[in-house]
Amino acid sequence: MNALSPTPSRAYDLNFARYVYENIDGGERLRMCMQCGACSGSCPIGQQMDHGPRKLFMMIRAGMKEAVLTSNTIWNCVSCYNCVVRCPRKVPITYILHDLANLAVREGFDAAKKADNARFAKAFMWSARKYGRTDERLVTGIYYFSFGLVEGMKRGMGNQKIALNMIKTKRMHLGMPHAIKAKDELQKILAKAQEIQDRHGKGA
Amino acid sequence: MSDKPKSQTVLVVGGGIGGISAALEAAECGAEVVLIEKAPTLGGRVAALNRYFPKMCHPTCGLEINYQRIKKNPRIKVFTMAEVSGISGTKGDYTVTVSTTPRHVTPACTACGDCAKVAASEVADPFNYGLAKMKAAYLPHAMAFPMRYVVDPSVVGTPEGQAIKAACKVEAINLDEKPESFALQVGAVIWATGWKPYDPKNLTMYRHGEIADVITNVEMERLASHDGPTKGHILKPSSGEAPKKVALIQCAGSRDLNHLAYCSRICCLASMKHAAYVREQYPEAEVDIYYIDIRAHDKLEAFYRKAKADPGIRWIKSKPSRIEKGASGEPVVCGENTLTREVYANAYDLVVLATGMQAQSQPPAGAQLDDYGFVVSEEGVFGAGVATGPLDVSMSVQSATAAALRAVQAVRS
Repeated sequence: MNALSPTPSRAYDLNFARYVYENIDGGERLRMCMQCGACSGSCPIGQQMDHGPRKLFMMIRAGMKEAVLTSNTIWNCVSCYNCVVRCPRKVPITYILHDLANLAVREGFDAAKKADNARFAKAFMWSARKYGRTDERLVTGIYYFSFGLVEGMKRGMGNQKIALNMIKTKRMHLGMPHAIKAKDELQKILAKAQEIQDRHGKGA
Repeated sequence: MSDKPKSQTVLVVGGGIGGISAALEAAECGAEVVLIEKAPTLGGRVAALNRYFPKMCHPTCGLEINYQRIKKNPRIKVFTMAEVSGISGTKGDYTVTVSTTPRHVTPACTACGDCAKVAASEVADPFNYGLAKMKAAYLPHAMAFPMRYVVDPSVVGTPEGQAIKAACKVEAINLDEKPESFALQVGAVIWATGWKPYDPKNLTMYRHGEIADVITNVEMERLASHDGPTKGHILKPSSGEAPKKVALIQCAGSRDLNHLAYCSRICCLASMKHAAYVREQYPEAEVDIYYIDIRAHDKLEAFYRKAKADPGIRWIKSKPSRIEKGASGEPVVCGENTLTREVYANAYDLVVLATGMQAQSQPPAGAQLDDYGFVVSEEGVFGAGVATGPLDVSMSVQSATAAALRAVQAVRS
């Protein structure tokens, strides 16, 4: 696997903070954090986070790489931007959390790969890449069955009523997935995006 | 040496504690001084304080001593209700245009108060930060200097204005006064234009003005003052009841790149002083201080230690993220305790926002300003007191004395 950030095997990695400052989206402003707690206090789902952004940022400074990248905080951000608006040091907290989540997957942490949001994001990107659109049935199906056959069936059956109602109200359709016309154009855009990301030293 | 300065007069703009100190120090060194003040009285924001930290003495005492020094010194000329509208020239030879607003009361006024008795309409009371109203014929406050009434322009040309005029036994009311302007030749200028409290309306998450029991630190000073709207009793604005649980929120605007990027220096101590006010009036009351970190510089550390020893004051290391309205309209302070990682929502009877110090919005004409609007001293034009950046009263007086020394040097060399 790709060891993108330094020495993934150690619990305390003193180079981790520098790596985050230099490589994570918005990381350069993370230096400015003064641990006031406005972010964690603003978070609408702060109670569901194990650490919350403020503590997570302190853990980054302490070099607790593994603890940071296996935290549920990086996955539970709902991008409401309350914290970003209120942060007195203008730290783009949302960007940082999302890019840390990305890093956690790339580094192959099990907790990250198995995170709910990671499974969903994977299904979403698959559909977006293939059709240029998200097909509700396929995205939901891939997401549900990522938990295994039995669990997938159970979740699918549990949402049957909602699915039927969505079909009735034309929020979901039967038949082939809708696709955009210029799929090759989309592939070019995605390839370019990947190229830009790689150029910034974050790709594999 | 080169040319002698054409004028040896020092102009001091602003009659708060900084301006008064600068004017007195310069005049007592032998310089001719003109002191101009925008408001009808000297004393500025210090006059509106209840007590000073750390000694907890009353500002009226120090101001009174300074007013006596002004009265006894023939070298100081004071103009109230006057502002600088233009300035030109160079060190040693400035021409300053001063504009005055009519007071409609002549120096014959004996401050008997007969005019206020017949005045019916009410106007906003800036001295009490809008917490109270005052009559259209008013004494700005009990310790006003000069001790002279003011007639609000809103009653000029009305029957009420005529009644006010008729009530004055010494015929001190002149409703025909018009705004005027005149020019002064001065050798040096000291800007002591002071500060204004950061507008809490910008802090939308703290809902000042929307939740009645959320007030600012300057409003707290007025509530605690014996000549304030509540005669010195700290009461909930919503109901007039005594508060049992009080929250003091630090850095309301300060140290925040979205508001004031700098530390306002005084708020930590001011809030500890407010905690002392509450604990003194209501020994049963609980006070919670929300802070990022406490900045009690040099000798003020002792005051901090004293506050820390009070079991009725709780210290919560957290910048509250927002204030919500509780079921019965009470303020609920929400955020994360950064020491325990607890996400809290605490209800209070009264919340005081420690709003910071902002430079006056009207920049002093011709003065050089820093990024935040504070005055940077240069040859012939000097800043004094809070016009140069956030300072407490004693530091402001030191800064004013230094500015006076430089101004005296400028007009003598």
